[in-house]
Amino acid sequence: MYKTRHAVFFLIVPVLLFMVFILLPAISAFFLSFTSYNIFDPIEWVWFDNYKEALQDSDFWNALGNTVLFWVLATPTLVIMPIFVAVLANQKVRGIRVFRLIFYFPVLVSVVVTAILWRWMFNLDGILNYFLSVFNLPAVEWLTSPEMVIPSMALVTIWSGFGYYTLFYLAGLQTVPKDLYEAAELDGAGFFKKHLYITIPMLRPVIFFVSVISTMGAFKEFTLMLTMTNGGPLDASTTVVLLVFKEAFQGLNMGYASAVSFLLFLFILVLTLINEKFIDRNPSGD
Amino acid sequence: MGQPSTEVKPYLKKEKWSKRKITRLGVIYFFLLLLASFTIIPFLWTISISLKGDGDPIFSMPPQFIPEHWTLNNFIEVWNTVPIPTYLRNSVLLTIFGVSLPLITSALAAFPLARMKFKGRQFLFILIISTMMIPSEVTMIPMYLVINELNLMGTFAGVIVPGALSPFGIFLLRQAFLNIPKEIEESAIIDGANVWQIFWRILLPMVKPMLGTLCILFFISEWNSFLWPLLILQDESMHPLTVGLYKLQGTFVTNTRLIAAGAMIALIPVIAVFIALQRSFIDAAFSSSIKG
Repeated sequence: MYKTRHAVFFLIVPVLLFMVFILLPAISAFFLSFTSYNIFDPIEWVWFDNYKEALQDSDFWNALGNTVLFWVLATPTLVIMPIFVAVLANQKVRGIRVFRLIFYFPVLVSVVVTAILWRWMFNLDGILNYFLSVFNLPAVEWLTSPEMVIPSMALVTIWSGFGYYTLFYLAGLQTVPKDLYEAAELDGAGFFKKHLYITIPMLRPVIFFVSVISTMGAFKEFTLMLTMTNGGPLDASTTVVLLVFKEAFQGLNMGYASAVSFLLFLFILVLTLINEKFIDRNPSGD
Repeated sequence: MGQPSTEVKPYLKKEKWSKRKITRLGVIYFFLLLLASFTIIPFLWTISISLKGDGDPIFSMPPQFIPEHWTLNNFIEVWNTVPIPTYLRNSVLLTIFGVSLPLITSALAAFPLARMKFKGRQFLFILIISTMMIPSEVTMIPMYLVINELNLMGTFAGVIVPGALSPFGIFLLRQAFLNIPKEIEESAIIDGANVWQIFWRILLPMVKPMLGTLCILFFISEWNSFLWPLLILQDESMHPLTVGLYKLQGTFVTNTRLIAAGAMIALIPVIAVFIALQRSFIDAAFSSSIKG
């Protein structure tokens, strides 16, 4: 009943936009990484020179190290902690909806505002150090010491993201059959056993999904570092994408920056495949 | 079989109402409040700073949460010295286009991809979806060059047009269109409707919930978008709130109270929309998480 011209009529504008603003940039990003493009000089093919340069550049390895550290700190927390939060937010108690909204709200706050809020939390005379002093712990240089700056960023990321992942788990919890819990209770399973043997295995697809999404998020994070510390102190919070950003738009080394972003893309791809191998096994296997 | 269960159940229920239930509730609320304070304290702290008068120390040990000389002067001063109404107008303008354009193009593309049969349909769909996997950081540089080539640098169009198509939106709307039974279109054709009428009058109203979900998701990302406007718009009079606030931090490095007031002003629209649409926000996040 529909003719091809109907499809063309509906698709013409979206497909044009797709080609110019999605497909073309994606393809040219690949080609750009083999050139020495810097906006001013004509494009010159340098083949793998950008990649070689990146792999020999200590700035690149420093940024990759920072990124991996950030990922190691942020992602496992963002995969595990929201499971507990979701179980908690799934309890049928008074006011639970308000709590869910409160947990979710930081997700909506722009990075610029998040950076402003947390810069003060991290101040030497700020609230976090006050809490530490209550427990007689020494003050921490959250943003000004190279060792603490990435853990601090991870803390902010957990603050702003845990509500988002909680919703994924909450949605997953709705699919767990209630009689499984009832059967376990009759068998005398307590709170922890119940969740360890029923909730976690049933949530496995969601856990996989959340680890992929949060891994990608962690490896792409840089706006927080740009707005909070601009990569400092001493490049200690320069992530790979922040390096790409600085190389491309401050150094105008577009070709080099493209190569670095492609290396990162490959890195994420490999991680995702490993992740799939370990977490998304067929549950019937055990 | 039925006999033991009728004996056991009332016994279990009776136990639940006693001490155990109270401790359980206590533990639940303890953790809920702990998490809630983790979420809320940064906001409260910023509100507190934004209301502090000259006599109140911003940082002190122990921190002073409730201002002694509280004042609204910080808000007035930041409003007068920084073109906040201009930033607000720009943010609203960019958000209107950043929400409506991808909504329209997603609907236009999703309809034939879900309901029509034509050559290359599957290929086109897979091509569109697979680009979702390419990180935007990779395409950021060529996108910048495309905008430069099109002479859109420094214009609102340069910010809006790259986001005018959303593969994610096409994907979600196509799912929604797929769920509509074929008979509805057939009976519409018998009644003499043309293709446009079927799309506009019959199918589109049926996917309203998904349109609402996308509206909210696009609103969040547009209102908060920072990096792309920062790259494209150099002229201060064109900055959205996010970029304005970022620059404000540079201008008033020392005046913490003003920055706090500015941050609060930027938060007000988000809070207002969130409170008005709270239920839909959670639903939007839910459906995007299940289907995406």
